[in-house]
Amino acid sequence: MMSFLAAATEVASDAGPFESIKATFGLNKWFFLAQVINFFLVIFVLKKFAFGPIQAMLEQRRARIAEGEEKLKRIEKQLADSEKNTAEAIAKANEESQRLIQEARDSATALTEAKAQEAVAQAQQILVKAEAAAKAERAQIAAELKQEFGRLVTATTAQVTGKVLTPDDQARINQEALAKVES
Amino acid sequence: MSRRPLIPTITASLAAAAPALGAGDGVHHELPLYAQRLHDWLPITNSMVMTWVAVGLIVLFCQAATKRMSLIPEGLQNLAEWMVEGLYDFLGNLLGHHLIKKTFWFFGSVFFFILVNNYLGLVPGVGTIGWTTVDAEGHQGFIALMRGGNADVNMTAAMAFTFAILWFVWAFQENGLKGFFSHIFAPKGSFSGVMLWMMIPIFLFVGVLEMISIAIRPVALSFRLYGNIYGGEQTLEKLMALVPPYLAFLPALPFYFIELLVGFVQALVFTLLCAIFLKLICDHGDEHH
Repeated sequence: MMSFLAAATEVASDAGPFESIKATFGLNKWFFLAQVINFFLVIFVLKKFAFGPIQAMLEQRRARIAEGEEKLKRIEKQLADSEKNTAEAIAKANEESQRLIQEARDSATALTEAKAQEAVAQAQQILVKAEAAAKAERAQIAAELKQEFGRLVTATTAQVTGKVLTPDDQARINQEALAKVES
Repeated sequence: MSRRPLIPTITASLAAAAPALGAGDGVHHELPLYAQRLHDWLPITNSMVMTWVAVGLIVLFCQAATKRMSLIPEGLQNLAEWMVEGLYDFLGNLLGHHLIKKTFWFFGSVFFFILVNNYLGLVPGVGTIGWTTVDAEGHQGFIALMRGGNADVNMTAAMAFTFAILWFVWAFQENGLKGFFSHIFAPKGSFSGVMLWMMIPIFLFVGVLEMISIAIRPVALSFRLYGNIYGGEQTLEKLMALVPPYLAFLPALPFYFIELLVGFVQALVFTLLCAIFLKLICDHGDEHH
């Protein structure tokens, strides 16, 4: 190293400082230019084969991630909307079903009541009919009894008196007998 | 067997192999300050060979990593994406979204190129495989076939001056001509009245200093990187020469680990300084975008 410094000092004493530096460190315009070209070659190579494709890939990935995030947000929003809509639909369906159940219940109550009233009416009608039928039957039986009683009274009278009774006699005797029984 | 000792073991083996490949003859124990010309009529230096190797390796890696890209990365694509995205985000935090999108092609290239070159300079054989020469006066010399790319000030200057030009382009694009000069010369802060008139000459003087600083930046960038890398390689050379050839690996071994760190740190420092210089001039303009 000392020899280099000595050489540098020697050169410096002969020439200016710039010439001295050039001579000491081997600065040469052609070598400098060659190294500039080398450096630009490196820049070209790195820009074309490394930074360009890699940054494009990083950008693509960044865009993809951003797009994914955006989609995720959209899906989350859609999911939230869907959940809200579903809840609303369920609530509405519940409400509708409650209304239907109530309507059915009311309808069933009304129907039951109507049927009951109808049944009561029918029963009353049946009762009236039965009473009427019983009354008619009783009247018929009474008539038959009266008729039988008259016939018996007539027959008994005919046997007791030993004469043949005319229809007028039979009718008169029947009426008298019946009037006595009824009174 | 744990996995942990594997990396140091490999590194140590590489480190051990390095001196064995070239330091055996004991002829060259000093790395020249400049890259050596390999041929009399062909303008090629040993550091150029190294940068070509670096370019070739970068091309191969990029091709392999981006050949079949998929949305779900794996293998080399994963590694490449991790490196690029990591650096992009790191510089993006400093420069802002607008500037990093515009300038990453440069900062990314600078960082990876310096890093690959720095690590290639540590590969056994670089700086040690070569041939001996004898000049007309009978002095013996040694020319290495390859030399660390950043151990040549032409290379570091090429990157630094390219940045200097791009710095002006980006600064004018972001601020405009008026904005650029007002950014340098106009008083910063809110002054009014007499205070403003007092501040104008001060900030004009500060602007002149700023212009000098801007002019010195590429030189400082060049020599900072060159000095650190050259210094590291020279240290390894000297340390290997301290002991007999068959033990040459031993003293250099710890410094190989340091050089691995230095290689990364210097790539980061160069890139970060460039980014900060750009941020400083575009800071005002960037707020508007």
